[in-house]
Amino acid sequence: MRFLPALLMCTALAAPATHAQRPPLTPHDSALHALNRLAYGPRPGDVDRVATLGVMSWIDAQLHPDRIPDPDVERRESAFPILDEDPASLARAIANVRQQRIAGRRDGSDGGGPPGRRLLPVDSQATMRVRQTMDQLQQLAVMRAVRSERQLQEVMVDFWTNHFNVFFGKGADRAFTPSYIERTIRPHALGHFQDLLLATAKSPAMLFYLDNWQSVTPGAEPPALARMARIDDARAEQMLARMPHGLNENYARELMELHTLGVDGGYTQQDVIAVARIFTGWSIERPQQGGGFRFNDWAHDDGEKTVRGVRFPAGHSMDEGVRLLKLLAQDPATMHHVSRQLCARFVSDEPPDGCVDRAVAAWSRSEGDIAEVLRAIFQSPEFWSAQALRAKVKTPLEFMVSAVRAVGGDPDTTPRLAQVIGRLGEPLYAQPSPAGYPESQQDWVNSGALLLRMNIAVALAAGRLPGVSIALDSLVPATDDANALIATVDVRLLGGILTTHSDEVLRREVGDVRDPVAARALVIGLALGGPEFQRQ
Amino acid sequence: MAVTRRVFVKSGGLALFSLGLDPLFLERAAYALYRPLPPSSALVRSDADHPVLVCLFMRGAVDGLNMIVPHGDPFYYKERPRIAVPAADVVDLDGHFGLHPALAALKPFWDNKSLAAVHAVGSPDSTRSHFDAQDYMETGTPGAKATSDGWLNRYCQHDAEHANTPFRAVAFGPELPRILAGSAPSLAIDDLQAFGLRVPQPGARDKLTRAFESLYQGAETGLLATSGRESFEAVQRLQQANPLRYQPDHGAEYPRGRIGHALLQIAQLIKADLGLRVAFLDSTGWDTHVNQGSSEGQLAGRLQELGGALAAFTTDLGERMRSVVVLTMSEFGRTVRENGNSGTDHGHATAMLALGGPVAGGRVRGVWPTLDPAARFEGRDLAVTTDFRDLFGEILMRHLGAADLDAVFPGYTVGPERYPGVIHT
Repeated sequence: MRFLPALLMCTALAAPATHAQRPPLTPHDSALHALNRLAYGPRPGDVDRVATLGVMSWIDAQLHPDRIPDPDVERRESAFPILDEDPASLARAIANVRQQRIAGRRDGSDGGGPPGRRLLPVDSQATMRVRQTMDQLQQLAVMRAVRSERQLQEVMVDFWTNHFNVFFGKGADRAFTPSYIERTIRPHALGHFQDLLLATAKSPAMLFYLDNWQSVTPGAEPPALARMARIDDARAEQMLARMPHGLNENYARELMELHTLGVDGGYTQQDVIAVARIFTGWSIERPQQGGGFRFNDWAHDDGEKTVRGVRFPAGHSMDEGVRLLKLLAQDPATMHHVSRQLCARFVSDEPPDGCVDRAVAAWSRSEGDIAEVLRAIFQSPEFWSAQALRAKVKTPLEFMVSAVRAVGGDPDTTPRLAQVIGRLGEPLYAQPSPAGYPESQQDWVNSGALLLRMNIAVALAAGRLPGVSIALDSLVPATDDANALIATVDVRLLGGILTTHSDEVLRREVGDVRDPVAARALVIGLALGGPEFQRQ
Repeated sequence: MAVTRRVFVKSGGLALFSLGLDPLFLERAAYALYRPLPPSSALVRSDADHPVLVCLFMRGAVDGLNMIVPHGDPFYYKERPRIAVPAADVVDLDGHFGLHPALAALKPFWDNKSLAAVHAVGSPDSTRSHFDAQDYMETGTPGAKATSDGWLNRYCQHDAEHANTPFRAVAFGPELPRILAGSAPSLAIDDLQAFGLRVPQPGARDKLTRAFESLYQGAETGLLATSGRESFEAVQRLQQANPLRYQPDHGAEYPRGRIGHALLQIAQLIKADLGLRVAFLDSTGWDTHVNQGSSEGQLAGRLQELGGALAAFTTDLGERMRSVVVLTMSEFGRTVRENGNSGTDHGHATAMLALGGPVAGGRVRGVWPTLDPAARFEGRDLAVTTDFRDLFGEILMRHLGAADLDAVFPGYTVGPERYPGVIHT
């Protein structure tokens, strides 16, 4: 790893050749850039720390999160009971409540009393539990994003959660999403793409979200139905009516369009059908049995299939799905599609081809080792180019978290800070579309959203934003000297991003504010809500 | 300036009137206040001429059969012994259909032909999942899950006629709904009074507004700068409209609750001439599995709020309703047969309402498939005879003047021959 700082020097020296008007990146500027992209922005002191350590050494460390101690976050995680919850327990609880409600409905109207009212407490218990789960899940993500030392890991968990989006609000995904984040996405965030893809394919959250759990080969019937038919025809009939029948193409389509090949990745509707047939039987256990992944042999289409010219011979049950996922994970179209998305996240909304090519080459070389793909992106001249600096507008999550980090803020365990991000338009785990949240600035910058960001910045600076506490005195001592105040805020909190123009505006506005504490809040609020801080 | 605007508003109404369009809203006593202006100003085109569409999503799947009651269909009473609305209570519309009595406040609009209902409307997709069906109705692409934007937003993207004013597309609620998600700028507003910089003291607020305005006017270029400018223009214009002092006109009284609150704010925005073209609001509480009630009860309570709010909105807007259409929608309907718990379960087709000056009202539109078991969808639910895209498409085309529906409803050809006919031609 010793060659890395040297490589940075090369790119820094190379920069003036193409952009003669710009000086090469200083250690300070490259540290700030890396902290803006690999992390959720700098906390007070971070820029200097990274610059002293050497930015490439810091990046290398971030690529190995398991080697970074994170005691503060580990301690805080104990305040989030969902982390200790058995994944099946919530599923069972929600299913039980549903059962009770259905049972209540059946006997309700004959019981004399008003059944609706009698059932209410049960419903609200479930609602409460679902609500608390969502609250904890969202706030946990925000807390980790703000406090974790393993910043790149948090950024990548968010990236993959969005890439393999599921929607908390859809039925059983209320129960499945916590374990999806913790056990499916998180362990693979910097691992191999193929493992991540396979984990999502087998996850109850994805199987439910994209309906694959109920995709069965047409005409197939579960053995339990035949058994029931021998005993009780009427009940067997009922069972049949409730049972899913037929192929469901949703997962097959999104798997290729969104998760792997990309919409122009070269597949036809016939391929979608063949892939759906391959995944028949990939389903979910009943909550009472644990609610995990389950392969239903009876539902699987055992015939021969062909996907994009590749033959899948008959009779390979679940193995052919695994084989298909491995093929998709290594397909050039997948490498290109996912690499491009990574470059859009880390470099610019319209990433340069050179950067994407480097990422694809690293993918190919490392057989989809995500850390190696990222390393190639972070070593690319495109990542360090003048065009890439401050080229991206922050998403609501990035804005909120970076603002809290900038003022050294401390989020509490209530969901209030996460709710602010929801109000900004990016409620976590609540995007219904499998495409996830968009990455480009057009989707986030509009007048209503900007006003909201300004309001939030002002509230945060004044210590009025719910869900987070700040202690500014040690960072930016209150002072009558407006120039000193503005300079301290810019250097200590923002990494020196204020333009001359903003500096003048701040000086003008703060000039007539007598109270030094109010002046400090005004400067910080304006700076965090102003245009420079919306970029990264 | 504000005074002149008002004048234009009045004259806009007059212009249409003098061009021979139906004076629908002049029939009502409430509009006695309306005084025609001198004809010289009658040709000035103003914001009041521009059409506005208000979409109201009834989340949870409203029971269309108890909202617009098919009291003339023999199977209605047969299948719903406990929850059918008795014929004596139904507010009859045409001898076959009638309004739920809780919607009686809407009857005057039926009579003046500004209210139409479309029955047996819904999605071609058979899903009975709230999530999927709402998603399909909002993206406008039933069966296709990966559509990332909503059809109302796509309309805004492809509609070249209207400028992108900050208030062109507004959803009332804390978050932007799927139907308005997409690349055309749209706003989610929880409360008009809170729009802008939230500082209690007006002096401090003005100072802060000025400061942010200068910051965004600075060195920034591109989208951030444009949006920044738009934000402050919107704040300023809304301030002039003064939402704090809003008083509904013509004695309109909005019922308490989310629907009334949102409609009141939409009326404010329309009257303030801020360029509103598309507004969205939603309401919940329609998923009546248990004890839904008949003439009274759970569903009646929800309908009461809906009817009262729509009536107040129409009264409040007065002559401005001549360029406004309110459309209700819901993801699917409910089972024809009541369930064991005096409620109804997830079904297929439902009923939707269209209200406003441009509406060819006084008719229940769409083809009635009957409740005959043989005619039902999958043997149990009211069949869909009008694809919701044909209804939405008709309104976009004939009311909002959309030029191209192919981009709004990709993969579907909306054809005038399938329009349910809710808008005057």
